[in-house]
Amino acid sequence: MATAMVGGAFSVIILTLIAVNHFQRAVLLPKREQKLEVLKLELRSRPNPVPTPAFAGASPAPAQAGVEGNEQLTSQIRQLDLRIRQLRIRRYDFARKGAYLLLASAVTFLIAAKCAAVFRRKLPAPQPQPDRHDRQFHDAKWARQAVTGGLVMLGGAALILALIPEIDLSASGGVPAGFASKEDVAKNWPRFRGPAGLGVSAYTNIPTNWNGKTGEGILWKTKVPLPGHNSPVVWDDRVFLSGADPNKREVYCFDALSGRTLWTGPVQSPTVPGAKPLELGEATGYAAPTVATDGRRVCAIFPTGDVACFDFAGKRLWATNLGTPDSAYGYTSSLEIYRNLLLIQYDQENVEEEKSKLIALDVSSGRIVWQTKRPVPGSWSSPIVVEVDGCPQVITCGNPWVIAYDPSDGTELWRAKCIAGDIVPSPIYAGGLVFAIEAYTKLVAIRPTGRPVRQAQGRGDITETGIAWSVEDSTPDICSPVSNGQLLYLLTTDGLLLCYQVSDGKKLWEKDLKTNFLASPSIVGDKLYLLSAEGVMFISQIGPFDKAQGRPEYKELARCELGEPCHASPAFVDGRIYIRSSTHLYCISNRRDG
Amino acid sequence: MGENKRLQAGVTRRRFLRDSLWGTCLAGLGVLTGFVVGKHRKTNTLWQIDPYTCIACGNCATYCVLDESAVKCMHAFSVCGYCRICFGFFGPEPVDITEGAENQVCPTGAIKRTFVEEPYYEYIIDEKLCNGCGKCVKGCNAFGNGSLFLQVRHDRCLNCNECSIAAACPSGAWKRVPPQQPYLLKPALSPSAALRVNSAERMAAHPPQAEHGAGNHA
Amino acid sequence: MRRCPYIIVCVTVLLGLVSPANVARASSPWFTARPVLSTVEGMAVPPTEANKRFPPPEFESGYVQPSPTTPAPRQDIYQYIDALVLLAALGISAYLVLKRRSRSAIFALAVFSLLYFGFARMGCVCSVGAIQNIVLSIFDRSYAVPIVVLAFFLLPLIFTLFFGRVFCAGVCPLGAIQDLVLVRPVRVPNWLEGALRLFAYVYLGAAILFAATGSAFIICRYDPFVSFFRLSGNWNILTLGGSVLLVSVFVGRPYCRFVCPYGVILRQLSRISRWNVTIAPGRQDPAIVMTGLTGGPDECIQCRLCEDSCPFGAIREPTADWTGRDYSIGKKRLALLMVLLPVLALSVGWAGSRLKNVTARMHATVRLAERVYLEDAGKAEGTTNASLAFRATGKPTEQLYAEASNIRAKFTLGGWFFGGFVGLIAGLKLIGLSRRVGRTDYEADRASCLACGRCFEYCPKEHARRKGIEN
Repeated sequence: MATAMVGGAFSVIILTLIAVNHFQRAVLLPKREQKLEVLKLELRSRPNPVPTPAFAGASPAPAQAGVEGNEQLTSQIRQLDLRIRQLRIRRYDFARKGAYLLLASAVTFLIAAKCAAVFRRKLPAPQPQPDRHDRQFHDAKWARQAVTGGLVMLGGAALILALIPEIDLSASGGVPAGFASKEDVAKNWPRFRGPAGLGVSAYTNIPTNWNGKTGEGILWKTKVPLPGHNSPVVWDDRVFLSGADPNKREVYCFDALSGRTLWTGPVQSPTVPGAKPLELGEATGYAAPTVATDGRRVCAIFPTGDVACFDFAGKRLWATNLGTPDSAYGYTSSLEIYRNLLLIQYDQENVEEEKSKLIALDVSSGRIVWQTKRPVPGSWSSPIVVEVDGCPQVITCGNPWVIAYDPSDGTELWRAKCIAGDIVPSPIYAGGLVFAIEAYTKLVAIRPTGRPVRQAQGRGDITETGIAWSVEDSTPDICSPVSNGQLLYLLTTDGLLLCYQVSDGKKLWEKDLKTNFLASPSIVGDKLYLLSAEGVMFISQIGPFDKAQGRPEYKELARCELGEPCHASPAFVDGRIYIRSSTHLYCISNRRDG
Repeated sequence: MGENKRLQAGVTRRRFLRDSLWGTCLAGLGVLTGFVVGKHRKTNTLWQIDPYTCIACGNCATYCVLDESAVKCMHAFSVCGYCRICFGFFGPEPVDITEGAENQVCPTGAIKRTFVEEPYYEYIIDEKLCNGCGKCVKGCNAFGNGSLFLQVRHDRCLNCNECSIAAACPSGAWKRVPPQQPYLLKPALSPSAALRVNSAERMAAHPPQAEHGAGNHA
Repeated sequence: MRRCPYIIVCVTVLLGLVSPANVARASSPWFTARPVLSTVEGMAVPPTEANKRFPPPEFESGYVQPSPTTPAPRQDIYQYIDALVLLAALGISAYLVLKRRSRSAIFALAVFSLLYFGFARMGCVCSVGAIQNIVLSIFDRSYAVPIVVLAFFLLPLIFTLFFGRVFCAGVCPLGAIQDLVLVRPVRVPNWLEGALRLFAYVYLGAAILFAATGSAFIICRYDPFVSFFRLSGNWNILTLGGSVLLVSVFVGRPYCRFVCPYGVILRQLSRISRWNVTIAPGRQDPAIVMTGLTGGPDECIQCRLCEDSCPFGAIREPTADWTGRDYSIGKKRLALLMVLLPVLALSVGWAGSRLKNVTARMHATVRLAERVYLEDAGKAEGTTNASLAFRATGKPTEQLYAEASNIRAKFTLGGWFFGGFVGLIAGLKLIGLSRRVGRTDYEADRASCLACGRCFEYCPKEHARRKGIEN
C-alpha cells in the first residue's frame, strides 16, 4: 500500500514536471524565438557598418556609435540563439526521460495498487435479493428510456450542427467563371484600341457632334485623380483607367451612366527604402500602358513592373511585380487578355542580356503560365491577339522582328525581319494581312501563316516568303494604323494622314491636317475618327470605293472640340465616346436618356 | 415428454438460425477478403513527401507524433549550385556573410557551411540537429536551385496508419509510396523528361485550338 | 569567379524587393507575402532541373560530391512477423480463455500484448484502425490495403466467430492498458450501458463515413492511447488519453465498452460464435456444444457468487418467472417498435444527410474550396498556407469548387447511410430491450463479455474442476 502511495505520488510529480516542461516548450520557446526574430530584423534595419562584397556601394559607413550598438545587438542575438538551442535540446531530453520515469512510476503504482486491491478483496457475499421481476422490469424500462434519451440527444446535436450554414460554392460571390465570349468582347472595348486592338468599333450610332466648351453632347465629365496616357477601357456599364505619379499608382473604375467614380484600386508594391524612384519623361509618363478587362476582372501594368488585377467590385485579386523593366523612354506596352491569360509584352533594352520576353500570367491567380524570350530590345508597341485561319496568334512588333506566338503556350508561330529602330505603333491585322510600321520610313504588310510552321520551314522565319508588300513613306512614329479591310490609314504625329489600298499597298491619297496627333485613329462604321493632341476630333468619311464616284479622298464631316489636350485613344461603345483628356474623363453622347 | 420435445424443437430452430448466420458471416468475411486482396498492391506502404509539391510550410516540424519530427531536410548535391551566398543558409538579408547566428536562417544551426574552392561553398545538413522546419528549403526554392528538400527519414518514421503531418499538409505533398521506392528524391527526372512533362501539363491545362503537335516542345 | 556577377545581381535585386515585407512581418519574416513571392520569375515554385538558376559547378580541386543518405525503412518481413505474433496471440488467448480458464495467464498475455503491440510496435497498425483501411480500399479504387493490415483486420474477426471476444481478452493493447489500470471497479448501472454504447456505433459510422470519403482516419486521429505507446505526442491527445486512463481505474475498460468501433463489430460476431466463455466450466467442451443441448439444470448451481464479479457488467442473471403475468403491453410495444423501425432509420438518416455542411469539412478539399471561396469573396482576411499552395498550382478555382461539390454530394449520400445506420441500431436496441429472453442460469453475455476470465474463480464448480485436474 505504501509502495502504491509512493509510486502514485512520484507519478504525479513527474506528470507535473512534464507538464511544466511542455509549457516551457510550447509557450516560452516560441516567445523567445519571436524575440530573436525581432532582434534580427532590428539588426537588419540598422545601417550596415561593414559593406560586404555582396552589397558593394550599398551604404556609406555610419557613425562609430552605430557600429558599437550593432556589435552589442549581434552578441545579444548570438547569446539568445544559443540559449534557445540549449533550451530546446534540454526540453527534448527531459520529455524523453520524463516519459520513461513516468512510465516506470506508473507501473510501480499499478502493481502496488493491484496487490493492495487483491489483498483487500472481500469474498463475495450475495445479499438476499428483492423481487427480481420488478428489478428486471424496471431495468428494461429505464434502459429503453436511456436509449431514447441518447437518440434524442444525438438528434439535437445533429440539428444544431445542421443549422451551421453551408458555404454555397456555386453562387460564386467572387469572379464569374470562364472567359468572355467573342460576342461580348466585340460589344465592348476591353483593351487598348478596342476589340483585338484594331481600333475598329462595332457600333455605328456614335455621336458626330459635340463641344467641350459649351457642354453640348457631353454626357458627363469626371476628374481623373492621377495623370496617365493610357486609354479608357469599357465593359458594360464600367469604364476603367489607370493613373500614376512617381509615388502612387492607381486603377479607377467609373460608372458609365453617371461618371461617378465607383472605386479606386491602389497598386502599391513595397518601395525600397533609399532607392530612388523611377524617373520618366513627360512623353510616356508613369501610366502609359492601358488596362485590359475580360469582363470579370481588370488588369493593369505600370512602368515600375507592377501588375495588379481587380475584380469589378474593386477588390484586388492579386498583384505582382515583374521587376522594373529597362526601357529607354519608360514602359508603355498595353495589356491583352486571351481566354485565361494576361499577355504582357515585356521588351527591355540590351538584346544580349535576353531580358525581353512575352509573359502570360494566369488571370485568376497572377501565376506565370508561360514566358518566351524575345530577341528584341525595348519596344513601346502593344501585342494583339487575332485569329488567322482559325488559329489564334499573338502578334508583336519589335526591332527587327515581327513575331507571332501561340497564345496557349507561348511557342513561336512565325517571325519576319522587317522593321527597325524604336518601335512604338502597334500592329494591326486587316484584310488577311498584318501591318507593322517602322517610324518615318516603312509600312510593311505581312501575310501570316495560319497553320503552325514552327518546324517545317526553318523555325518559321517568313521574312522571304511572307512579306506581301512594303512601301517606303513618312510613316508615323507613335500612332498605330487603322483599317477597314480595304483601306489602311496612317496618321503621323505632325498631322499627315495617309491612305493606302490594303490589297497592294498603293497609296491613294495623303492629307496634311496641320495639327499634332498622339492618339491613334479609329474607324466607326464608315467614319474615321482622329483625335488631335489639342482635343479636336476630326471626323471624316471613309471611301467611296466605287469607281463611279471617283477615287477616294479625304472628306471631312465634322470637327468637334473638347477644349483640353488629349493623349489617349478614345473608346467607342454603343452611342458613346469616352475620351480621356489630360485631366478628365469625358463621356460623349447625343442621347440624354442615359 | 411433449414439453421436452417442444423445447428441443425450439433449440434446434434457434441453432439452425444461428448456424446459418454464422456461415453467412464467415462467407461475408471471405468475400471481403477476396475483394480487398484482389487489388494489385499487397505490400505495406510508407509515407513520403513529394519535394516538387512541398511548400515547406513548417508543419512537418510541429505536427509529427514524435517529439523530434521524422521529417528532416535532405540536400541534393547534384542540384546544388554551391553558392557563396546560399539563401538556405543565410536569412533573406544577411548582415554579413559569416556563420554568425544573426545571419543564419536555420533555427537549430543544423547546416554546416564549408569552403570548397573559389567561389564554391558546400552545405551539409547535420541530421541530428535538423528539426524539419523547412526554412532553408523555402529559401533555396525561392532564390536557389531548390536542392534542399524535406523527406521522411524512414529510420525515424513510425509509419502511422494516418500520418498526422499528412493530415495537416496544406499542399497535398504527402503520399503513400511503395517500400521499393521509399524516398522521392531530387532530381526526380532527367532535364529533358522534366521539360516534356511540363509541356504536356501545359497542353493539358490550356488545350490549343489548332492541332499543334506535342513534339514541338521537345 | 565567373559566376560572381550573377550572384551579386541576384542578391541585390532580391534584397531590395524582400526587405520591406520583412520589416512589416516581424513574426514570420519569410516570404509570406504573395506579391513579393512571385516578384522574380518562377519564385513561387522551385526551379525545374532544366531551368536551374545556378548551373552546378565544375570543381577543379578534386572535390567529390557527397551523396545524401537514405536510411532504409523497417523491412517488410517484420510486418509479417507482426501478423504471425497476432495469430499466435489470438490462438493462445483462445486456449487460455476456453480451455485453460486461467485469469492470471490471460493477464500475462495481456501484458505481453501491451508490451509488444503497444510499446514495442507503438500501437500501429492496430485492428481497430484497420477498419478504415478496409473501408477506404472498398471506396477508393486507387487505394489497396497492405496484406498485413488486412490480416490485422480479419484475424480477430475470424477468431471471434469461433471463440468469442478472445481478441479483447488478451491481444488488443488498447484493452490491455485499460485492463491493467483497473483497480477499483465501479458498476455502471445496467440500464445505462446500452445508451452509452450508442456512442460506439455513432463512432463506427462516422469512422466509416470519413474513411469512405477519403477525408480522415478519425479512429487513428483520436486514438487516446497511441501517444502513451509512443511516449510522446500531441498534448491534447495525451490529456484525453490520461483522462480515459483515469476513468479506467474506476470504470472497467470504458473505451472498449462505450467507444471502440471495432468492439461493436466483435460484439455482433461474438453473439453467434461457435464457442464462448461460460462462467461454470463444462459447457465449453466441444463435444457438448455439438449436441446442441447446451445448458442444463445442473450447470449453474445458482449460488450467485459470480453476480458482482464482472467489472464490465457482462454477467446476466436468470430471468424472472413471467408465468401468470400480463405482458400484453410489452407485446404491443414490441409490435409498435418493429413498425417504427424503418421510420426511425429513415428519419435519422435524413438528419445525417443534413449534416454534410459540417461533416464535409473533414475533407481537405472542401476546407480548401471554402477557404478559397471566402478569400475570393472578400469574406476572409489574408491567406492560408493551403490557399497559397493551391493558387501556386494555377488550377482554376472552378475545378476546385466542382471537386468540393462532388465530395459534398458523397457526404449527403454517406450521411443517409450513416444516419440510417445509427437509427437502425437504436431501434434494434429498443426492440432488444422490449423482448423477453428466457434465462435460467447466471451467464456471461455473449456480446458484452470481454473474456477476461475474472469470473472463473468465483464459480465453485471451477474450483471443483481445478481440484479434479490436480487430483
